[in-house]
Amino acid sequence: MGKSYRIGTPEAQEYMRQYRNAPKGLSSFEPGVIASDAKEVVAFNIAKSFYQVHPEVLNLRLVEEKTGIKPEEARKRLLRMYQEKRFMLVKNSAVNVSGFALYYWAVKLREDTTPEERKDLMEWFQENDQICTGYMMEEGGDFAVWNGNHMRNLDNLIYGVLDKFRFRRCVEWVHVCPIRRLLRESSVNQFDALPDRYRRYTLTEEAEKRIAALKRGVDEKDLDILGTLNRAPSGADLFDYEALARLSGLEPKEMEKDFRYAVDEARVMIPMLYLNYASLGLKQRFYLVSLFENTPTFREDEIGDELEKDDRFVNIFEISDAHHAFLLSSYEGIEDGEDIRRKLLSYGEVKEVLVATSPRQFRRWTCRLDERLYEECVFTDDVLLDRSEEASHEDQ
Amino acid sequence: MKISEARPYVVERLKYALNPRSIAVVGASRYPTKVGNKVVAELMEWGYKGTIYPVNPRAKEVLGLQAYPTLRDIGKEVDLVFVAVPAHLVRSILEDAVAIKAKVAVVATSAFKEIGRGDLQNALTEYCRRNELPLIGPNLVGMGSPYDHFNCGFIPYLPVPGPIAMISQSGANLLAALGTSQEEHLGMSFFVGLGNKADVDFAEFIEYADQDPRTKVISIYIEGLDSPEAFVKSCRKARKPVVAIKVGGSKIGVKAAFAHTASENPEGDDYYDRVISEARAYRARMWQEFLDVSLALGYQPPLKGDNVVMITNGGGAALLSCDHFERLGMPLRELKDISPLLAAKIRAYMPMFGSPLNPVDISGTAGVIQYKGAFQQAFRDPNVDGVLGAICPTAVTDVIGVAKAAVEVYRSTRELGKPFLMICQGGGECREAIRLLRDAGIPAYLTAEQAVTAMVALRKAGK
Repeated sequence: MGKSYRIGTPEAQEYMRQYRNAPKGLSSFEPGVIASDAKEVVAFNIAKSFYQVHPEVLNLRLVEEKTGIKPEEARKRLLRMYQEKRFMLVKNSAVNVSGFALYYWAVKLREDTTPEERKDLMEWFQENDQICTGYMMEEGGDFAVWNGNHMRNLDNLIYGVLDKFRFRRCVEWVHVCPIRRLLRESSVNQFDALPDRYRRYTLTEEAEKRIAALKRGVDEKDLDILGTLNRAPSGADLFDYEALARLSGLEPKEMEKDFRYAVDEARVMIPMLYLNYASLGLKQRFYLVSLFENTPTFREDEIGDELEKDDRFVNIFEISDAHHAFLLSSYEGIEDGEDIRRKLLSYGEVKEVLVATSPRQFRRWTCRLDERLYEECVFTDDVLLDRSEEASHEDQ
Repeated sequence: MKISEARPYVVERLKYALNPRSIAVVGASRYPTKVGNKVVAELMEWGYKGTIYPVNPRAKEVLGLQAYPTLRDIGKEVDLVFVAVPAHLVRSILEDAVAIKAKVAVVATSAFKEIGRGDLQNALTEYCRRNELPLIGPNLVGMGSPYDHFNCGFIPYLPVPGPIAMISQSGANLLAALGTSQEEHLGMSFFVGLGNKADVDFAEFIEYADQDPRTKVISIYIEGLDSPEAFVKSCRKARKPVVAIKVGGSKIGVKAAFAHTASENPEGDDYYDRVISEARAYRARMWQEFLDVSLALGYQPPLKGDNVVMITNGGGAALLSCDHFERLGMPLRELKDISPLLAAKIRAYMPMFGSPLNPVDISGTAGVIQYKGAFQQAFRDPNVDGVLGAICPTAVTDVIGVAKAAVEVYRSTRELGKPFLMICQGGGECREAIRLLRDAGIPAYLTAEQAVTAMVALRKAGK
């Protein structure tokens, strides 16, 4: 074996000088890649298994320091919020490092779609383990679904997912939207935000106050706790390593050192507390933005960076090789949706903005959000699969 | 971790591992593709009669059963805690198990000593020992008993009921034995995978099996012996025969055994020869031999002398048997030397071209009457110590009829305490006959060598 180029180090730049494109990870074999069950991320895995009954795995000392809320009160509030499904400890993984692409797709249904057809299709999306994240829109919007998954093989997306539903009578169109930059998800800036904007939590205090004022299951203190943890200086500060050690028997300092490396240096994972907006009766307004075809790539990236500075957005995806260029969303009733739409249309490069409203999220990065199987984390990895082969067997 | 002898509290508690009144399945998932879901589903599907408590902090219900966030939330007595969650969660679960006074913990989870986390495994083991909570595993597939419709683990089938206690360090080989049991009616009293055997060791299961009234033979698959002293003591104490197969003695096998069940084998294979011999156990070298000998020792009494009479309708099976008996150091004796009277009497059951030598060839035309008569004569002769029958399926052989006749004879002569084995070499009807014979307690085999090996093992047990 010749030289190895380690992802997450200056060797990646060296790679690009040699090969003129970015290194693409290949699962856990690529130098620098950290597998989801590796020792470096064991802190997250322990916390993910215990926070439901042991919220003290979260950094309650940080909460006390920043908000004055005593650990015991924070603990009780987190327990209650979990039981009421208001939040979930989740992670975003830098899947491109592991060799996956993020493929999303928007679906438009025909106007004469019957309620039964619509319900049946939505349940199909809910149950499909190859869809890792997905949003259902209300009827009457410009599109009906925004779904996505991380896959390694575009044919697997076509044969394994899209072909399974796109020929239904009720489907008007399906637009595949490969993600070029994952800028923000669940109000937390992601791996493709500019380096100094990485992991910024963007739910503002004003927005938190407006959500609390709705009195739908969370108050300002609750949102303070979640916000403080999401604003922790490092993703590694989300946890209490002594608590993790008590539960697991593993060495706290080593767990912390490992996890700091994974989230701050290797940047393979962003842990965060997800606000389950649907459980609060909130909706998200989605904006699917197209740019004129002659917009240069750098300009699309610049627009993405400009939109990232707007804290009103909960999600920001930059798309490539598709009809659309951006998918953004904001909380309806919390932010001024019309003002956001006007802002988007103020860009001379913007050709069209499609709008739809989502009252329900199917899954959040493999974690199911439906009542029946809440937080069951399921995803069918396509690494070793050839869905086209499976499809041909089904035909026979 | 090492023990010097079987610990009485562990042996006493093992009944809760194999016949628990209640089981908490920690990691019981709602999702049908996940192992934690399968454990609950299999328990229900196979008809477990006790109470199942799924434990899952994310679920209110699993497979229609109320789920509990933690063991402590159950609030009722729990005999067995079955753990199917990642390694880093196990410590907390064991603490909960101690707190609720569970009788025994079974940890299916992998990723302990076998991947270099020996310290964590040892710390958990020490914790369990301090609190007298027997821990089976980690890194195991499960356990069960066909008598109690109990199948706990990641095991797709139950064996047929019978006399063999199958104690295996390897889950895969345990599953292989269970599959064989279903297909070929290798009857078992109970089965257990021990995995890394961090705490509960072979010795304790040997002593439990020795007390178990359904068990007649203790069969052990070993990848490594952490506590040879305890193993020897328990085997010697046992009133029932022990069959052991020890693997991982080859150069690369030593490494494979560590990666599989964290078994360390610094000693050569000769060492295990000595240990198993000192334990007065039968050492099988190959998997098939392990199963065959277990079957024979489980169903049949020891062979008290060398006078084995073989009755067959096929000369080929006879010759294969003669050669193999001699190869194994127990050559067949001619019938006239065993019992001149029997040689004369048995003539009545064969045509003139038959051979009363030994093997006694009652010829390819032999029917049910000839077989039955020859078997009866052989059993009733006081000089005969054991009988080996063979069926060769000629066009005129009623294979199933002969098998039924063999069962009839066996039942009427069982009190004589002479072992009876059968060979049925042939196609589908022979396999059916084998199952029929085994169901009646007669070890039957597809090849002559298997049966002869088993008969020689019975002789070793009889010495």
